[in-house]
Amino acid sequence: MNINKALTAFLNLPLRIKFILSFLAVICFGGVLTLTLGTRLEHQTIISLAQAKVNHDLASAWMVYNDKLSHIQDIVRLSASLESLKNALKTDEKELLLRYLSQTRNDFNLDMLNLTDARGRILVRSSRPEISGDDQSQDPVVRRALEGDTVKATQIVTKQELTKEQGLAEKAYLQIIPTAKAEPAARDYVEDGMFLVAASPLVSDDGNILGALYGGILLNHNYEIVDRVKEIVFKGEKYKGREIGTATIFQYDLRISTNVKKENGDRAIGTRVSTEVNEAVLKQGKSWIHRAFVVNDWYISAYEPIKNIEGDIIGILYVGMLEQPYIDLRNKVMATFAGMAILSVILLLVILFFITSSIIQPLQQMVNATKKIADGELNHKVDVNFQDEVGQLGHSFNLMTENLKKANEKLVQWGKTLEKRVKERTHELQEMQDSLVRSEKLASLGKMAAGVAHEINNPLTSILINTHLVLEKLEKNSAARENLSLIADETSRCSDIVKGLLEFSHQNPPEKNFADVNDIINLSIDVLKNQVTFQNIKIKKKLDEDLPQIQIDPDKIKQVFLNLILNAAEAMPDGGSLVILSKLSENKKNIEIEFTDTGLGIAKENINKLFDPFFTTKTGGTGLGLAVSYGIIEQHKGRIEVKSQEGRGSTFIIKLPIS
Amino acid sequence: MKANAKKKILVVDDEINVCKSIRQAIESEDHDVDMALSGEEALKKDKEKLYDLIITDLMMPGISGMDLLTSLKTARPGVNVIMITGYPTIKTAVQSIKIGAFDYLPKPFTPKDLRSLVARAFKSSESDKEAPLLPVAPEDLYVMKGHTWTRKEGKNLATVGVLPEFLQSIVSVAHLDLQKKNKNIFQGEVCARITDEEGNVHRVWSPVTGKITQSNTTLTKNLALLKADPYGKGWLLRIETKDIEKDLERLSPSG
Repeated sequence: MNINKALTAFLNLPLRIKFILSFLAVICFGGVLTLTLGTRLEHQTIISLAQAKVNHDLASAWMVYNDKLSHIQDIVRLSASLESLKNALKTDEKELLLRYLSQTRNDFNLDMLNLTDARGRILVRSSRPEISGDDQSQDPVVRRALEGDTVKATQIVTKQELTKEQGLAEKAYLQIIPTAKAEPAARDYVEDGMFLVAASPLVSDDGNILGALYGGILLNHNYEIVDRVKEIVFKGEKYKGREIGTATIFQYDLRISTNVKKENGDRAIGTRVSTEVNEAVLKQGKSWIHRAFVVNDWYISAYEPIKNIEGDIIGILYVGMLEQPYIDLRNKVMATFAGMAILSVILLLVILFFITSSIIQPLQQMVNATKKIADGELNHKVDVNFQDEVGQLGHSFNLMTENLKKANEKLVQWGKTLEKRVKERTHELQEMQDSLVRSEKLASLGKMAAGVAHEINNPLTSILINTHLVLEKLEKNSAARENLSLIADETSRCSDIVKGLLEFSHQNPPEKNFADVNDIINLSIDVLKNQVTFQNIKIKKKLDEDLPQIQIDPDKIKQVFLNLILNAAEAMPDGGSLVILSKLSENKKNIEIEFTDTGLGIAKENINKLFDPFFTTKTGGTGLGLAVSYGIIEQHKGRIEVKSQEGRGSTFIIKLPIS
Repeated sequence: MKANAKKKILVVDDEINVCKSIRQAIESEDHDVDMALSGEEALKKDKEKLYDLIITDLMMPGISGMDLLTSLKTARPGVNVIMITGYPTIKTAVQSIKIGAFDYLPKPFTPKDLRSLVARAFKSSESDKEAPLLPVAPEDLYVMKGHTWTRKEGKNLATVGVLPEFLQSIVSVAHLDLQKKNKNIFQGEVCARITDEEGNVHRVWSPVTGKITQSNTTLTKNLALLKADPYGKGWLLRIETKDIEKDLERLSPSG
C-alpha cells in the first residue's frame, strides 16, 4: 500500500519533476554501480600490481640475504683452505692460529670465527681465546663440516653459546615490546640470537679432516642486510617522510633486524609479527603476501619463512611496501571517477532541463490553450516551433481548434438560419400538400366532368332549340325577345363551359421541344397588345437574354402566359403597369418567369382557391383559366406561385425546371 | 312542293325532350317528322316507312347510334343519316362518316344549325340523282366522305381541303371563314365555316388533328377556286399533324 501511495504521489508530480527524478534515479543508480564496481576493480588491479611487485622484491631480498650468507661461506672456506692455517694446526701453533683467525674476523667483520679439532672441540675461539676445549660436535653445522662438507645456514644460537663469545650475548639481547595484533609473549625479552653461519673442513694433503672452521654474523641489531635490501630494492625512496619500502628479519616472530620505523623514528626491533602471519608463515610454513598492519601502518607485505640447516622454521624474511601511496593513488583515481560522474550528472541535468523544457513548455502552452478554448476563446493558437511529436501535436491541436471554430461558426450560423429554414420548409411542405390536393381535385374533377358533360348537353340542346323556336315565333318588337336572347346566349355559354371543362379533363400530354421562354413571352405580348383591354396598360419586359433553352410545349406555355397576361390586364381596369421578368433561379435549376401587375390584388381568403377549377371573381369568367394553367405547368414538372397584396397588385411566378 | 314530295324524317334520341325539340325545329310543310326513343324502335319504324332522313343520337342505351347507322346503311345504302353527338364522342362521329353517315352535329345546336344541315342533306341527294360531272379525286388523298380531304405532305404535314360533293350540297358559297394560323385543332372539329347565300352556316370538319401552320388566304379572296380547283389551289389549311396515322384510320382512301 505504501508503495502504491508513493507511486501515486510520484505520478501526480509535475511532468518536469517526474522527468528529472526518473533521470536522476537512473543516473544515480548507474553512477553508484559504476563507481563501486570501478573502484573495486581498480583497487584490485592496484593491489595485485603492488603484490606482484612486493613478491618480486621479496625475491630480491632473498638474493641479498643469500649473498651475505655466501659471502660468509666464501670467507670460511677460503680461510680453511689456507696451507699456513693447516700447517699451524698440524704443528699446534695456537698463537699463530689465533692471530690469523682474529685478523680474518676483523677484516671481514664477522661476529664469530672459531676453529675445532677433528672431534669438534674448540681449538681457537677468536673473540675469547681464553674459553676453549668445549665440544661443538653437536652443532649441526660443525658436524657437517667435520663430515667434509662446506655448509652455510641460518641458525639460532643459544644464550649459553653466545656468552662464550665476546659481547654477543649483550648484542643479541632484546627487550620484547608489546605489539598490537601479535600473540601474547611468554617472556619480556629474548636472549638467543640468530646467526648467519658457514662452516668448512680443514683437510690435510692426504685427505684427513683436521678440524672445522666456522664463523658468522649475528643478525640481532645488525641492519646491514635489511638496509641493503632497502637500498637495492627500494632505492631509498620516501613517501611523505616515510620509507616506502621496508625489510625485516624475524627471529621466530620477533623483529631482530628491520628498517620499519616506530613513530619516534627508532627502528621497530623488539616488536612482533601479527598473529595472522605467525600462523601462516611460522606454523604452516607458507609464504604470505597480503596487506598487513606493520607496527603502525598498513603495508603490502610478503613474508617467507627462514629455515635452519635441518629445515626447521626459525624466522621470517619480510619485505613490505607502504600501502599509503597505492591508497592515495586509488583515492585519486576514485576522486577523478567521482568528479567525472558528478560532472556528467550535472551536465545531464542541464541537458535534461532543456529537453524537458522543450517538451513541457509546448505542453504547458497547450494546456493553457485548452483552458482558453474551453472558456470559448477559439482564436487561440499554440506556437509550433519544431516538427517533432510535440510539434505535430501542436499542429494537430491548431487544426482541431480551427475545425472547432469552423464547426462552432457553422453551428451559430445554423442556429441563426434554422428558424428561417424551418419556416421555408414548412412553407414548401404546405405548398406541396396544396399542390397534391389540387392535383387530386383536378383528376377527380376531370373524370366527373367527362361524365357530366354528356348529360348536361342534352338539356342544353333542348333549351337552346326551344329558345330559338320561341324567338322565331315572337313578334319582332316583342319585349320578351331580349329575355329569350339572353337565355340563348347564356345557354351557349353553358355549352362553352362544358366544352372548356372537357378540354381541361382531356389534357393531352405536352409535346416538349427545346424552346426559348423569352420568345414565347414576346409572342404572347404580340398577340394581346393591340386589344382594347391593354390600352391603358404599360407592359415592361425585364428578360434575361442568357437563359438556356428548355424542353417545353411552347403552345401550352403560351396558353399559360396569355392567361396570366389577360388576368393581369383584367385586374387593372383603370390602367397600370405589367412587369414581365425572366431569370435563372438562384440555384440555377429553374427558369423563373414573373408577371407583376399593379392591379386590385387578391383577397387573402381567395389565394388558396385561386387555382381551383371554377373559382372566379370575374363576372363572365369560367374559372378554368388558372386551373388549366396550373395543370399545364404541373405537366412540365414546374410550379406556379402567387404573391398578392390586396389593393397593391399581384405577382404570379412560374418556375420551370431546366432539365 | 307537292304533298307527296314531303320528306319523311325520323328523329332518334333516348331523351324525349330532345326528340321533341328537334322535331319542332325541323317540322314544316316539307318535312314529315317522326320520333323514336331507341335504336330498336327506329329500326322498326324505318321498316314501315322507309324514311328519307334519319337523325340519331350517338350515345343511347341498347342499340347505339353507330349500330343503328350500320344496320340502316346495310339495309338501304342510299339512306341519309345525320348523327347528333356530344363532345366526348367526336371521334366516333368521324368514324360514322366513314361508315356512311351524311354528317354529324355536336350538341348543343340551334334550330338554324340543324335546318342548314338537313337542307344540305336533301340537296345532296338531289345532286346525286342529277349526277353532275365532278372533278375526279387524285389517288393520294384520304377523305372524310362528303366533307373534306387531306393529303400527306411529309412526315408531319398535311394539306386539307373541301370535297366538291360538300360544295354541291350548298346552294352557293357566299363567304369562307378559315381557322387562324397557330390554332390547335382536333380531327372532327370545325376547321372552316362556309356561309351560303341564304345565310346558312355550314361547318367544315377537319380530317386531321394538329396545329394550323398556314391558312389559304388567297382562297378567301377568290372563292371561285374552291370549285375550280378543289384538290389544288382550293386547299384550305396546312396542318402540322400530331398523329396522322391514327387520323387516317378513321378516314377513307380516295377513289
